[in-house]
Amino acid sequence: MAVDRHHWFVRVTHWVNVVALVIMIGSGLQIFNAYPMFARRGMTFCCYPFAGKAIPHWATFGGWLAGARNWHFAMMWLFVVNGIAYVIFIYLHGEWRDLVPRRGDIRDSWEMLKFYAFVRKKHPHQGKHNALQKFTYFAIPILAALAVITGLAVWKPVSLAPLTNLMGGYVYARYWHFLVMLALVVLSAIHIFMVFAVDPYSIRSIVTGKYNPDRAPELRDARPFYHIFTRARHDVDAQA
Amino acid sequence: MRRRDFLLASGGLSASWLLAACGSRGPKGAEKLLKYAMRKNETLERGLFRHTSMDAPSSRWRNAGAALPKYYISDTVPVWDISARGQWTLEVSGLVTRPLTLTMDMLQRLPRITQRVNHYCVEGWTAVETWTGVRMSDIARAAGATPDAKYVDFQSFDNDYHESWDIESAMHPQTLICYGLDGRMLEPGHGAPARLFSPVKLGYKNTKYLTKIVFMPKRNGGYWSDQGYEWYAGT
Repeated sequence: MAVDRHHWFVRVTHWVNVVALVIMIGSGLQIFNAYPMFARRGMTFCCYPFAGKAIPHWATFGGWLAGARNWHFAMMWLFVVNGIAYVIFIYLHGEWRDLVPRRGDIRDSWEMLKFYAFVRKKHPHQGKHNALQKFTYFAIPILAALAVITGLAVWKPVSLAPLTNLMGGYVYARYWHFLVMLALVVLSAIHIFMVFAVDPYSIRSIVTGKYNPDRAPELRDARPFYHIFTRARHDVDAQA
Repeated sequence: MRRRDFLLASGGLSASWLLAACGSRGPKGAEKLLKYAMRKNETLERGLFRHTSMDAPSSRWRNAGAALPKYYISDTVPVWDISARGQWTLEVSGLVTRPLTLTMDMLQRLPRITQRVNHYCVEGWTAVETWTGVRMSDIARAAGATPDAKYVDFQSFDNDYHESWDIESAMHPQTLICYGLDGRMLEPGHGAPARLFSPVKLGYKNTKYLTKIVFMPKRNGGYWSDQGYEWYAGT
């Protein structure tokens, strides 16, 4: 029996965000390729081991510097408006309760890691999301906000000089902007991997909104690539 | 087709569109939308712009010195050839009550400013430089720019390179017509005899090899702005 899992507003903002974020990152990397390092001219930079190495063409968007800048400075509005709409919605509609970590979620994260590492046999008990998911989904809007704030500091280093100075100047503002992007890429990559490797049934829930609770990872004791097709534990118990 | 299949299929389609779009310029039809966003951004940026917002590099940052790149669009470094062109002058014209033809001597007799500021390149690099020159606002006052002068075009002898500016940015106290860099007279590699330099605009707006300053009622595009880079390009 399928139940309703994601409100249409959450599904729409999720997919709009996929488009906006992919274009923001692709165009950002194309812009980065015009000067793929961080050092101020005549100085060195401490903390980037790949200075001078261009980002591969397939990961870029916009074709050339001006094209990428124009995409970046247009798509940022969709990214910002969509992100704000999502946060306001989950605040008013109550979804935030499934996302904000609580006391105990740190311990539960550790239990999840133990479970994924085969140290623990049974899947820890969870609500809508497991503790690792909660931390991830909670971090995403915060990282997105940081991406926007560091981006503003790079875009307007004179008009918003106090903001840029707060980040250590233009060079560091650009570096923080890059690192925040990297964090978003890493979390998104883990998210996509876990969707396919642990709970492919959740794809349905972010498209149509429906979810089959009998397929929940907790009931399948699902680890990456383990028990993807296993039936729910209570079914097994019932047969025994 | 069931609704669920349709949604799944369209999700897959948009994902493949996204993948196909990587490394590309994006859909052609979006260009109008991008231009619209550029205009809206310009309105916002002009709203944020203040003559009191100053660029002030930290004293911990070294001047770029010889590490400052030399950019020009001619095939070789543009050098003002006196034997062919006569003495270099800077012409100030357009919507002014007293058109000027400034020689280097006259330029250097105007109130001299030396400022240490950041250079923000559109490519993403930045450099600290110490510029010496004359405030654009002093030149505008000397020429008697009229109130209907809303834009200024800065023209050069580097293959007709030019960029036009909004008057507010041109009148910013850190917008200078420079003839000195790091305590020496400007070299041909950096725009000699004189160039425009301001931290309030990206590098490409700061015309080098300056010959004409024209006050205008309308904007006049520019070398890079006409090729797709933002016209406003404020920092």
